[in-house]
Amino acid sequence: MSHLSEEQEKALKILSELKDSQLLSHLNSCVHCGLCAESCMYYLATNDERFVPAVKVALVSSIYQRYCSFTGRSFPQLVNARELDDATQNEMVDLLFGSCTLCGRCTMHCSIGVDITYVTKVGRSMLAAMGLVPATLQSTVNAALQTGNNMAIPTDDFISTISWLEDELRDEVNDPQASIPLNQAGANVLYTLNPREPKFFPLSISAMAKIFYAAKESWTLSTHMYDVTNYAYFSCNFEEAALIAQRLYAEVENLQARRCVLAECGHGSRAFRWEAPNYLQHPFSFDVLTSVELLAEYIRDGRIRLDKEKNREIVTLHDPCNLVREGGIIDEQRYVLSHAATTLIEMTPHGVDNFCCGGGGGQLAMSEYGDRRMKIAELKADQIRRTGASTVVTPCHNCVDQLMQINNKFKLDVNIKTLGEIVADALVLE
Amino acid sequence: MTSFHYLALSALLLCLIGLSYHFVRLIRLGAPKDFSRPRGKPASAIAYSFLGAMSPAKKESAYLHLPTYTAGLLYHAGTFAAIILFFPLFLHARLDGWLRGILVGILMLSGLSGVGILIKRIAVKKLRFLSNLDDYVSNVLVTFLHFLTLAALVAEVVAPLYFLCVSILLLYLPFGKLKHALYFFAARYQLGLFYGRRGIWPLRKT
Repeated sequence: MSHLSEEQEKALKILSELKDSQLLSHLNSCVHCGLCAESCMYYLATNDERFVPAVKVALVSSIYQRYCSFTGRSFPQLVNARELDDATQNEMVDLLFGSCTLCGRCTMHCSIGVDITYVTKVGRSMLAAMGLVPATLQSTVNAALQTGNNMAIPTDDFISTISWLEDELRDEVNDPQASIPLNQAGANVLYTLNPREPKFFPLSISAMAKIFYAAKESWTLSTHMYDVTNYAYFSCNFEEAALIAQRLYAEVENLQARRCVLAECGHGSRAFRWEAPNYLQHPFSFDVLTSVELLAEYIRDGRIRLDKEKNREIVTLHDPCNLVREGGIIDEQRYVLSHAATTLIEMTPHGVDNFCCGGGGGQLAMSEYGDRRMKIAELKADQIRRTGASTVVTPCHNCVDQLMQINNKFKLDVNIKTLGEIVADALVLE
Repeated sequence: MTSFHYLALSALLLCLIGLSYHFVRLIRLGAPKDFSRPRGKPASAIAYSFLGAMSPAKKESAYLHLPTYTAGLLYHAGTFAAIILFFPLFLHARLDGWLRGILVGILMLSGLSGVGILIKRIAVKKLRFLSNLDDYVSNVLVTFLHFLTLAALVAEVVAPLYFLCVSILLLYLPFGKLKHALYFFAARYQLGLFYGRRGIWPLRKT
């Protein structure tokens, strides 16, 4: 066995010091049937056997076998046990970061029930322990850790953007009392944002502000911590993920909000709704819900009124993986769209079987894999084209970004909107 | 009892000890703790994980690969039959008539399925890339078991070879990928727990 560095020892502890039976169960269940291949966008788009999801499991397993199992230590050739050397590490970076969107399609369709996404994340966390997270992704995490938001937007700039949007809102609803509240303690809702919104897509903030105004909601934004994203979920550095999650948790507590509503962001929703209580090792005392659920609730409770005739174009829906397949928000966005647009044509497949936009898993942040990302995106472009839709709605800003690039590259000539935007367009103000 | 009987019995005991080690380890480590507020019903999802989610209509790994899926089902049916038949064959109990005919038929089909799966593993590039020695050894051992069980049912003369094969397989089982026979249940349980907590399983129509 070659000499291991301190970082490699740390990475191997992730495999050897198990907290539960999850890793053992999934590593020992894969039978290498390879039937997961056709569920993976990377394999479908390239026909490259390296991209078969089971190969990722086998890679992590080969290291586990080498250092943690009797069979692998005694008969390494039998189970292809591998040293954690430079070649293995490079392969891990390329396969686990560079060719996986963590979309979870392979897991859902695995013949055995191997949680391939989970094993991939374990592999990523080993790479994080060795300081091998791709620099582009790590810089996004660092920006969030150092500035409080992943786009490093200065607080003054954020406040001035919100102030401008507030003026616009007052004009639009013709009410000088309409507001976008900041840092108000005791509000019912603390609403979070994806930093792409204040930076590039301020109209999506306007859309939600208009909806909150129509619903007469007691809500607030925070200037201290509004970022819904948690890119450390992608890098799988769970200490950093916990730091980011703790900030939002503390801000909800600090402002004594009853509900934390997560902006349209698939991974951000997942990271705070499902992962953060585990990062922080305690349950949350407040409600955490996505804006998709909130919009459905407003419609169901009659708090907002929509006129779907205002959206007469053919609309299709892109299901963000983290929200749908990994988050259980499956019907709500369809319910909302059924009230906000006249014609919804579903993609094939859709719902829990939908294909990723190609930008998930941190791919959008990792520019070194940009060509590969756009190669697999052709599947999504074909899906959209086949619907004949002129508008693609998706409740995820990450997906919006990737879909805009797909629109441009594959000349789809479609509008890309968030759910909040199409609802705001259909809103009937009393 | 012949020496082959003693060999098979010893192998069975060692196999059970090996599997018990894996089982106790799984139980001691336990399922992951989850502090998130549940959205669905994990109990229903765990049941769904073992039943509805296994339906060929629900998995691309099945409905996109029906010949392989069918071969896999037959292969496992033959394996279960061979496991059960170990006991009557060990006790020299005679199986005659239609029952033997059915078992011979099942084992012939399952054995041929095993050969088919092995050929596919060798012939298909992506499977060759994915496979290790354990995959081939496990397949060959189990396929041999099917054919030798079949042979032992119709001709007692092959009993020594049959018990030798059973012994090797039992001794190998806790160390190679065949132990998925145990871990499969843990994986599906945990998958049900995961999807159930988030309200994804049981699947509903969108």
